[in-house]
Amino acid sequence: MRKTLVYAVPVVVVYGILVGGLFAAMLQPPAKFGRIMSRLPSVTFFLFPFEPMWLMARKGNLKVGDMAPDLALKTADRSAEVSLSSFRGRQPVALVFGSHT
Amino acid sequence: MPALNKLYQQYKEQVAFYVVYIEEAHPTDGWQMPNNIKDHVLVASPHTLEDRNEAAHACVVKLGIHIPALVDDMQDSAERAYTGWPDRLYVIDRSGRVAYKSKAGPFGFHPDEMAQALAKLVPPANPVKQTH
Repeated sequence: MRKTLVYAVPVVVVYGILVGGLFAAMLQPPAKFGRIMSRLPSVTFFLFPFEPMWLMARKGNLKVGDMAPDLALKTADRSAEVSLSSFRGRQPVALVFGSHT
Repeated sequence: MPALNKLYQQYKEQVAFYVVYIEEAHPTDGWQMPNNIKDHVLVASPHTLEDRNEAAHACVVKLGIHIPALVDDMQDSAERAYTGWPDRLYVIDRSGRVAYKSKAGPFGFHPDEMAQALAKLVPPANPVKQTH
């Protein structure tokens, strides 16, 4: 029993530190997090509860019912600038955030 | 993407529908993914707004997106304000309030949830005919 503890306690402590480290990385800006992940082995996904940690880390501050922050962005063809606030009182807006990869 | 294109077709008359092109999730100079290498989806992080515009355009064409695309600025204002990276869905109601916010992608990216949120806000203009 005592012998098991001698091995189990350090393993649990090290695992806890690694979970904390991964979570801290998830809280970094995307580019920095990406750079960190690119150096970690893919076993990271299986060793840690990646999905729940990610959903928690990337929860964000906006909640349903909050005023949506205004955005003024150019269209990809640069033909126009679109301001989200211009739709207020007129029509709903649907946004799909994403990239190619 | 087909699911989102379909939603766009269904709601484009009543809803301002936009793709917001943000920083790349798995660029060649960052967190490269083996399946992207296999599929030859090789995109470097755009470092200027011009590059980002071009990357956004290429993305829209290659992925066959019909939804109009907006491009985030180089300060990543949109990404930061909406915690949009790597992908995420939002619906904003007529009063400018968040009506639906998906969980963070890729795990939380569910167009069917967005469809439900849109259906609550607007009756579909081109309802899919149901046969009984």
